[in-house]
This record gives sequence, C-alpha cells and structure tokens, in this order.
Amino acid sequence: MRTWDWSYTGHVMPDLLRGLLVTVEATALGSLLAFALGLVWALAFRAPTRWVRWPVRAVVEFVRNTPLLVQLFFLFYVLPSAGLTFSPLATGVFGLGLHYSTYTAEVYRAGIDGVPPGQWEAATALSLPRRRVWIAVILPQAIRRVVPALGNYVIAMFKDTPMLAAITVLDMLKQAEEAGAESFRYTEPITVVGLLFVLIAYPTSLLMRALERRLGT
Amino acid sequence: MLAAAAGAGAGMLGLGACARVDTAQATDGGNLLQRLRKQGTVRLGIAGEIPYAYIDRNGHLTGEAPTVAGEIFKRLGVPRVQPVPIDFGSLIPGLRSDQFDVIAAGMFINPTRCQQVLFSDPDYQVQEALLVPQGNPKKLRTFDDIARTKATMGVATGGVEIGYAKASGVPTARIDIFNDPLSGLEGLQAGRMDCFTGTSLTLRQLLATGHHHGIELTEPFVPVVGGKKQYGAGGYGFRPGETRLRDAFDGQLHALRSSGELLRLIRPFGFTTTETTTLTAKELCRG
Repeated sequence: MRTWDWSYTGHVMPDLLRGLLVTVEATALGSLLAFALGLVWALAFRAPTRWVRWPVRAVVEFVRNTPLLVQLFFLFYVLPSAGLTFSPLATGVFGLGLHYSTYTAEVYRAGIDGVPPGQWEAATALSLPRRRVWIAVILPQAIRRVVPALGNYVIAMFKDTPMLAAITVLDMLKQAEEAGAESFRYTEPITVVGLLFVLIAYPTSLLMRALERRLGT
Repeated sequence: MLAAAAGAGAGMLGLGACARVDTAQATDGGNLLQRLRKQGTVRLGIAGEIPYAYIDRNGHLTGEAPTVAGEIFKRLGVPRVQPVPIDFGSLIPGLRSDQFDVIAAGMFINPTRCQQVLFSDPDYQVQEALLVPQGNPKKLRTFDDIARTKATMGVATGGVEIGYAKASGVPTARIDIFNDPLSGLEGLQAGRMDCFTGTSLTLRQLLATGHHHGIELTEPFVPVVGGKKQYGAGGYGFRPGETRLRDAFDGQLHALRSSGELLRLIRPFGFTTTETTTLTAKELCRG
C-alpha cells in the first residue's frame, strides 16, 4: 500500500478547504457570541439584586457543567419540536458561543475583580454615573488584562468545531471523513486536516502571546 | 512464520491492531483460515446497523450478517465469533489494517469497494426507500424526485445513498449527513429535511423499534444510475489475497442458499423471500 498519494491529496483539497471555511466561520461567529454573552453574564454576576444574580449563576453553571456535545444534540434535535428551527451552522455557532460564554464570563469576572479598588473609589469620588464608571473606567482596564485568556478560548473553540459534525455541519474533519469513506483512503485527508489545524492554531497562539506582552500591565 | 504466529497471538487477545501482518500482500491465497481454526475465534467487523449487524440490548452480537457468518464459520471449524464494532465508514480501513478478520455488516458489494476488499457472494438483496413525513407532502419516491423537487435529504455517513443521490443530480448542499440512521430519523422528525434515505430494510426496522409518529416509509425501489439498475446486495468482506478463506466461505454459503437454510437464519431479522438473491460478487463488482 502506497503511503501518500499527492494526486489524491489534490483531489480532496477543495472539499477540505470548504470545510476549513466552515470551521473558521463557526469559530469566528462563535467567539463573537461567546465574548458578548460572557460579558453579559459577568455583569449580571454583579447585579445589585440576588433575583438576577442567582438565576444567572444557575444557568451559567448548568451550561458549563454539561458537555457541549449534549447541548448541541439538544439544540439540534429537541428545540425544533418547540418550533425553533435554525440551520445546522447557526445551531452550531449558537451552541459553541453559549457554551464558551460560560467560560469567558469567568474570565471577565477575574478581569473586573482585578481592577484595583482605588479605581472604583476614584470613580465614586468623582460621582461618575454608573454607566460611565463601567464603560470608561472599569471595563477598559478589565478587558485589557483578559485578552490573552479570551484568546485561549478562541483556540479551544476552534479545536472543538469538529463536534459540529454531530449535527450535520460539514466541518473540516467531517469533510475528511466523508472523503475517506468514499475512497477508503484516510491517511491524506486526516493528515491534511491535522496540519491545517496546527497551521491556524499555532500562529493564533503566537499572536495571543504577542498581545499579552503588548497589553501586559 | 514468526509474523503469523505473532498475529494469531495478538488476535486472541483482541489486540489485532498491533499485529503487523500485512495479509493484503498474500499471493498464495493466504492461510488465515488455518490460523482462525487454530485460535477458534474469528473477529467480525460490524457497524451497529439494525438489522444487518448490531449489539442487542443484552450486549449480545446479533443481526443477519453475524448469524450467517457465525453458522458458516462453525461449519468451517471456527466455533467462536468476536464482534469489533466500528463506524460504517471505517469498516474497510479497519479490515485492511487487521483490526478484524471479516466485514460482517451486510456491506453492499460495488465496484469501488471490490478494489479494496475481496467479497463473498451476496446473501441478501435489498432496495432503497425513503422515510418521509406522514402523507408524503412532497410526493417523493426516488432520488430523481428529490433532485427534481429540490427537496432536502438526509443520509447516514458513508452510505451508498450519497453516491446515488449525487448521480441523480441532488447537490451536496441539500444532503445532510447524519452519524447514524437513528439520528437521521430524529432529524426528520425535527423537520430538518424532507426525507431520509436508506435501504427499505433498515428503515422498516428503524420505524419498528422506535416510537415515532408522523413518519412513513415509501415504496421500495431499485435506484437507476446512468441507465443502470443499482442492486443493493450485501456480502462479507475479506482482505485482498485471502482467496482460500473466501472460497471456503462461498462454498458453505451456497450450501446454505440451496438448502433454504439461509432464509431460515435471516428471517428473524425481517428478511423475506423478496430479499433472497442469486446474484454473484463477480457480477456486482463489474457494476
């Protein structure tokens, strides 16, 4: 058995690149959602009333402590029976974003807790309105120190996208499996997929490290 | 034959994947049957598909293919079978990398697969069918209907239906690939696509085992690709080169066929006289 067939590799490349596009798309949109929702959770953790704090805490803990795969199955197969049907990719993006938002929420929380108390006191002394305290004083400092940690979750999410295959999203790995199932040759497509993952994840992690140095306090 | 002995030992421990015996290179017809007789166990690759080959609720290996293969191997002097469950798309690579000895998953015999696997003659023949919502709102019956009405379809990963559908002009964008038939049925129930395709046998059993309402099975049909009828006839896959084992297996299979015992063996799994066949692997490999 030949070990590597270049012409076959070329033959499966278009499908794999199409899969890569889906993978990147899911990661990018999922990240945006995770960043936005995570911030909402983090702010809700600090809400003045426990009627907000406790339910949000409960939801976040529930999502964070159940497997992403189970959540995807639920969103894909169960929600439609309640009349909510989204495309596989939209379901996947929502699943990824929601799941990772429960992690980014903790990251934001750490960032907010890390803002020196003096900043809060100064803002109070200047009697800034609450909105302005958050937007102009606290969040810029908090987010700055958590960018590298958020970046890590983007990479983690990127590597979790093959799970979307369970809900019929043709991501990179699923494309490779289908190509293999058709031709019975898995070596080339799976290897290429592995390389593509490294090719994207490694530079991203280097970028994160650079950001960390730049934004470091 | 140090390599062969090591292979047999590893096989007995269920560590076949570690054995480095490339029997695909055998040129003299192979000696796998002797080795299997010596160890008394044959490893069957199965894909967990009802009714072809699956593990039942009590954890026992059952299904049409393991039952027939078990009977034939018993007659060949190999009393025990050991299942190796794997997903359908990995059956052929798994066989070739020696993770098991025979594919006993009711695998269809077709020209592409014949290039990778040595097939026995088929022991059954089935047609394709569609699962559709009650009343069949889009009036789907064949792959051509799906292509013409721009309907969306679901299929289990690695299934022959993907090829049939594409050949009939269904674009990949309208084909949802599910990990197994059950998720496909769930997807159909959730209204994710217009139909789910599979063999009439798989789909009939799928409906019989679950509690599914509002889903019906269409009339079975033989798909036509490029003017040629595509017979779905399944047999047992052996590593290329193992012709001796395959021939011995075929001999017993023909005996079962002509004595009518084959039908008796597979009837409990929903097979009837319409599913019996006289096709040969040779014809099917020609396409």
